[in-house]
Amino acid sequence: MIDALLDRAFDYRGYVTLSQRDGGRLVGFIYDRGPAHVELFDEAARRRIRLPVDQITGVEFTGEDSAARAQQIWERRKGALEPADTAAWGDWSEPGPRDRRGRRGPRARRPVLILVALPAELRSVAGALGARRGGGGARGRLGAVRAVALAVGVGGGAARAVAAERPGLVISCGFAGALDPALVPGDLVLASSVRDEAGESIAASEPVLGAARRVLDSGDPACLAEGELLCTTEVAATAEAKRALIRPGRLAVDLESGPAAHAARRAGVAWLALRVVLDPLDADLPAFALAARASYVVPALRHALRGPRAAAELAELARRARTASRSLSRALGRLAPVVGGLADAEPAS
Amino acid sequence: MGIPWSQMFAVARHVMKQRIAGRTRYPLVLMLEPLFRCNLACTGCGKIQYPTALLKKHLSVEDCLMASDECGAPVVSIAGGEPLLHPQISEIVRGLIGRGRFIYLCTNALLLEDKLDQFEPDPHLSFSVHMDGPRTEHDASVCRAGVYDKAVAAIRAAVHRGFRVTTNTTLFDGANPDRMRRFFDDMMALGIEGMMISPGYSYRKAPDQDHFLRREQSHRLFSRMLAAPARRWRFNQSPLFLQFLMGKRDFDCTPWGNPTYNIFGWQRPCYLLQDGYARTFRELMEQTEWSRYGHASGNPRCRDCMVHCGFEPTAINTSFGSLRGMGETALALVKERR
Repeated sequence: MIDALLDRAFDYRGYVTLSQRDGGRLVGFIYDRGPAHVELFDEAARRRIRLPVDQITGVEFTGEDSAARAQQIWERRKGALEPADTAAWGDWSEPGPRDRRGRRGPRARRPVLILVALPAELRSVAGALGARRGGGGARGRLGAVRAVALAVGVGGGAARAVAAERPGLVISCGFAGALDPALVPGDLVLASSVRDEAGESIAASEPVLGAARRVLDSGDPACLAEGELLCTTEVAATAEAKRALIRPGRLAVDLESGPAAHAARRAGVAWLALRVVLDPLDADLPAFALAARASYVVPALRHALRGPRAAAELAELARRARTASRSLSRALGRLAPVVGGLADAEPAS
Repeated sequence: MGIPWSQMFAVARHVMKQRIAGRTRYPLVLMLEPLFRCNLACTGCGKIQYPTALLKKHLSVEDCLMASDECGAPVVSIAGGEPLLHPQISEIVRGLIGRGRFIYLCTNALLLEDKLDQFEPDPHLSFSVHMDGPRTEHDASVCRAGVYDKAVAAIRAAVHRGFRVTTNTTLFDGANPDRMRRFFDDMMALGIEGMMISPGYSYRKAPDQDHFLRREQSHRLFSRMLAAPARRWRFNQSPLFLQFLMGKRDFDCTPWGNPTYNIFGWQRPCYLLQDGYARTFRELMEQTEWSRYGHASGNPRCRDCMVHCGFEPTAINTSFGSLRGMGETALALVKERR
């Protein structure tokens, strides 16, 4: 009788309660059955227990049968599939980072999402992440945190990227045009707020800004300026167009930080806009640079062929782009140690 | 055949050493199951139905390396559950590579793209991506929409970054040979190293009990699917095993060929059946009643089984066990390529 019950218990994918000759009761999962013993894990699956069969007087099937439950769920679904947006981790949350004692935190560590507009900007970011580019993006690590960099183009790609990646922090990165005459190519602009052309302004979270400021404002040839960033829908290509946008406290103009900040705010995620100056206030951009392109090589060559002045203009732009790229890459490297903390910060209200 | 020469040489050397040492039972592939939890609940899987406390449990890195040392098999297949859910999977892989093992990390690929950064491309590491057929069939098999597309994207990313990638396809009743042939074309076009195919085992604990293949059905399906194989197809398997699947050759099971280690210990007798656990590898090999398993034993649970974990070791032993076996393998390879 007991032998038959133990055979069934050994085949059972749930907890059983064993009554023992000494009056004790033991709850566990039986995984091994010998001629004279059973071996089980206790309910917490921490302790292995080997019990002689002759000490067992009764077997009760007190836990749910996991296999039967799986079969019932499958039959109820009648071929209906789980939706495609089911979490990739399934029912299991991604383990959080380890603390100093090696324990894991309860929260999943979400990635840092770095949004750029252009493939040229993605190159600098991918370099900082130590990642190869591919498919319009690069995946790597920024410090201890997983980081995803995406070139989303100009406009609404930020919202899609935030929805897809479910980040803990959004960083808008890339080139900007200076609106402050003191800023030169390679200088960094940390946005305390982003304002769009309609006048709507989104403030950055102070803890995020403060932490970024502390690591960026030290030991680097590039100047760090903090203030308002204007986000327009068209490139301010000439010195005249840029001067028309100057307001007190406004440092630079770009096309991407507004959508990124909006998307992060809608997702309840902290954001940071870190831009690097490409063109100073008194510089004009060549016409071919006005449109977003995957590659600027052919248009740039066409521009250079217009004459010596155009070629010199192109060489100067290339020099500025190199300076700006290096500065951006260095800045991301300096953010790396603190970005894990920023990823869990509360967004500004 | 899609297996690299270095790996074939390591396996051949291992077989020779065992034979010279006079061992008749020896492992070829360690089936390492570091955890049972999974991010999918596939219709034909009977591996993951356990209480939550057991699903949350996993083997430590040290446990995994110790199991590999104990077993000594040149190849380690890391299965589960979904191995990429293991918080130290990359450390396990690095440790095994450090011991010179060839690793097949079996994954449904849902987390692969995110986790690629944790691994380095290495000739000893191959991601074995679970792909049960074309998009419709695969998503139905894993009971979730969009998994095929995610797996394909992950395969592309892994191949692009220089990793070895293979696919692992389990077939059930209802598989369409013509669609499967197109699926093989699609997989090879992704740039993978090779494919592995096998009929599913009729797990009694699996949710769907109606679609497991019987032996004759397997023969018919594989004969139609593998007849006149396209030149571009590469199988990461022994050609003799493929002949066995097609019914052109009869093998019996070598249940000790792919010993399985998981949170319970060394599983008796094989990867598919759970007749208890041994505490050590030696205990598994010496105290298991092997004569109770395989076709010849008449065990009803082995009757329809044609799964690679039992029969591929037989095929490999046949290939490397004698000059005749080597000749037959060479001939099968030539036929495969025609």
